[in-house]
This record gives sequence, C-alpha cells and structure tokens, in this order.
Amino acid sequence: MIAVPETLPDALLRAGPAPALETAGVAKRFGAVTVLESIDLTVRTGEVLALVGPSGCGKSTLLNILSGLLAPDAGRFTVGGVPAAQIADWRRIAYMFQEDRLLPWRSVRDNVAFGLEGTNLSRAARHARAREMLRLVGLESHAGAWPHELSGGMRSRVALARSLAAEPSVLLMDEPFSKLDPQTRSQMHDELLRIQAGSGMTVVFVTHDMEEAVVLADRVVRLAAWPGRVIDVIALDRLARPRVPTSPAVAEQIRVLRSRP
Amino acid sequence: MPRRFTTLLAQRLLLAGVILLAWWIGAARLPSFVLPGPGKVALALVSLWHSDTFAQDVAATCQRVMLGFAIATVIGTLLGLALGASRVLARFFEPLLTLFNTVSSAIWAIFAIIWFGISDATTIFVVFMTAMPLILTNVWQGAQTVDMQYVDLARSFRMSRTRILLKIYGPTILPHFFAGARLAFGFGWRVSLVAETIGASSGIGYRLRQAADLVQTDQVFAWTVLLVALMLLLEGGALKPLERWLFRWKFPSRPAPALTPFPVPQG
Repeated sequence: MIAVPETLPDALLRAGPAPALETAGVAKRFGAVTVLESIDLTVRTGEVLALVGPSGCGKSTLLNILSGLLAPDAGRFTVGGVPAAQIADWRRIAYMFQEDRLLPWRSVRDNVAFGLEGTNLSRAARHARAREMLRLVGLESHAGAWPHELSGGMRSRVALARSLAAEPSVLLMDEPFSKLDPQTRSQMHDELLRIQAGSGMTVVFVTHDMEEAVVLADRVVRLAAWPGRVIDVIALDRLARPRVPTSPAVAEQIRVLRSRP
Repeated sequence: MPRRFTTLLAQRLLLAGVILLAWWIGAARLPSFVLPGPGKVALALVSLWHSDTFAQDVAATCQRVMLGFAIATVIGTLLGLALGASRVLARFFEPLLTLFNTVSSAIWAIFAIIWFGISDATTIFVVFMTAMPLILTNVWQGAQTVDMQYVDLARSFRMSRTRILLKIYGPTILPHFFAGARLAFGFGWRVSLVAETIGASSGIGYRLRQAADLVQTDQVFAWTVLLVALMLLLEGGALKPLERWLFRWKFPSRPAPALTPFPVPQG
C-alpha cells in the first residue's frame, strides 16, 4: 500500500538520531482499567533495555504495543522514526514469548523456519536460513529432531533461533527464560548477549528478576502499577561486561535495584 | 527387535492354528449348512473368485462405501470446523448430533429404502449418515483443542488467517480427523453390507443375502473370510503406516544426537 516497508529496515539500522522505538504519551485501557498511563519511552538503536516492575504494571501490555500487535488508545509510537500507523511490515520486530511455544508436529528445523513462511523466501532459502540460525545457537546437529526430544534449555534456544530467523532489528522478549532453571537461564543470557553483540540488534525484555535485568541490560526502566507508569530509568552503561552476578559491582547493583520502592 | 517379531509371528500363527482346528472339529460334528468346514469354505472362496460377478460386486460395494465416505468426510469436516469456530452454532446444533449418534444404522437403511428404493443411493445414504456424525464430532473436538498460544505465535509472525488455519488449526485437528475418519470408514463399511442386503441388487451385501436365502452357508463364510482379509490388508497395509508417518512427531524416535550441551532434563 505504502512504500514505507522498504525504507523501514534502513531507518532501523541507521545509528542516526532516530531511536529504534519511541513512545510518547502512550496509554492503554482495558474496559474500566487503565493499564498504561502516558508512557514516554525511548529505546536506542542497539541497546539492551529491561522493563521491570510489579505484576499489574502493564509491562507485557507495553511490550505488545511495542510489537505492533496491540494498538494504544492514545499517544504516539514510532519505529525508527516512522509512525507505527505507516508501517506495513512488522517482521523486523521479533517477539519471544515466555513459553517456548515450539510446534510439536514440526521438526526443530521447521520450527525455526516457521516465521519465514509468511515471507516470499523460497523453501530452500527458508531451510538454509533455519540451519544458519540453528548453527548460531549451537543446535545444528538437532535440526531433524522433534521438540519433545529436547531439554528445556535446548527448546529455549530453538525458540530464540526462530525469533532471529527473520533477521529482526528489534527483539522483544516477555520473560523468555523465566521457566528455565538458574544454570540454563544464565547460559541463555550469555548466548543472547553474544548474538546481540554480533548483530547490533536492539533488545527489549520484560523481567521480574532483578539479577537478569542487571546482567543483561544497558538500561533498566522501572514501572509502577495501577496504573502502569514509568518511575525511573537506571543506566547501567558503566557496569563492565561480562557481568557475573557474584562479582561485587554487579551484586551491589542488584541489591540497589531490589531495595528501591 | 527381530526376535520380538519372530515371537509375535509365532503367537499369531498359533492363534490361527487353534481357530482353524476348533472350526474343523466343530464342522465335523455339525451339518454343513450350519457350519461348513474349512475345506468347503476354501472351495467356495475359489469358485467365488472365479465367478463372473465377483469383481463387479466388490467394485459396486467399494464404490458405494467410498462415495458415502467421501461425502461424509467433506461435509463432516466443514461442519466440524464451523461448529469449532462458533460456540453459538455449536450449542445450537449439539442436540442434533446426539440424535444422529443414537439413531441406528438399520433405521437409516429403512428410511433409505423408503426414500431411494433399490438403488446405489440407499447404500451411499446409510454410509453417509453413519460416517458423517463421527467425522463431524472428531473434527469439532479437534478444533476445540487448538492451543491459542500457537495462534498468538503465528500472529506475532504476522501470519494471515488462512495461513493460521493451515499451519496451526490443520495439524492440531489432523489426528482427531484421522481417528474419526478411521472409525467412520470401519462403521461405514460394515453398515454398507446391511444396507445392501435390503436395498441393492448387486454388491457384497446383496450376494450375502442371496447366499443366505439359498442356504449356501459356505458362500457366506467365503465372503466373510474375504472381507476380513480385505480389512486387515487395508488396516496394516495403508492406514497404520500412514498414521505412523503422519504422527511420527508423537512417537519417541531415534535417540537424540550426540551433542547435548545442556544436559538439563526438563518438560
């Protein structure tokens, strides 16, 4: 309809003044309940941003709005400087759910290729891309396996590969690793940061785990509930990477975040 | 594995032997119009095989069953999807389904005779009325088990409604559809013979009744053996392999490949 889709990726990739995502005065109500009240949020291109807050603060709703799956009732929302209403192709923004949601009737490779099936890529190209993504997450040898044959951590990596297959500029994640055991979760953190560093992708994730927020994020946005609103934004740029939760500086930061009201 | 197969084969052969022996002993003590012996039935089978109308009769029955089943599959699937898509529709029509399932195939056969007389339509109708509700119910139930999380996943990839129907609804419903279709085919096949005994002038059911009327019990047995063999062939030769292939993702297959960097067993 509009010629915007072609220009969008460039706009997203350009490390120019336009932020990857930006909301101004974004609000959302469900019936009589105001879930989000005037959210002003800027997500810089290439940064890792954490959204934290108590349940009911609307962090998942905010993530859904950022993904374009949910329209806000009020306010402005731009992607790479382009107003959301003008964007026809949202595939550049990937969404990773809390559950891995692997389709049990598809092989690992076909699960990874799933998101590409709405595109004009050929079957061979989709399969090649899926294999490439599986190599990226270290599961190339499991391409032919069925989801039920994999461990929780492996399933999570397949879900990550699936989200990355469309080469998104922005990856949104809704507590993606919360169902994993601590050791596997920490391995997934390393994996994600390695891939993010390699691609320069922008990552926004929701978590209620302050340790996860501090280990991953460049900035942490704290939200309050009833109605959902931004309390403050904490910059963690000066915290050296890689961040190990047991190192004093990281542990201190986690403690500070947890102690805030 | 091969050893287990040999044991199974031996068991099956033993069972067949026991049945044959019992049949043979029984036949020796009873008049042959009550229970003809294995030898007599084998002879009847051979003469049946070489009779002029044999191929025609088998073809006629198969055609009626297939046609009734095919129509039932199309209509049952469409109605099942419609009921699965709309709760209002489902609640409205649910009593009708119970009604369909309680009416005996014999009653459908009698109605069919009244409405269609001695014709192909009679058998086709009975097969349809028996098979359709089974397929409908299963497809409907399958549609209700679709996981909305998968639908949301597809939406997050901006898939169209048609694509979601094909890629999420389809694979979810398929096992249910398959179970229903299999049941429907088995029932349809059996009731087709009932319908043919009263409402046809050709086909296996018609010949069965003719043989019974003429007290050719060996012929009845020959047809029975033939039908059982046909069903076993269809089951083992087509349906089972197809099912195993279609739903291979459900079965534990080969052991997982060697590389397992995350040895955390989790659901």
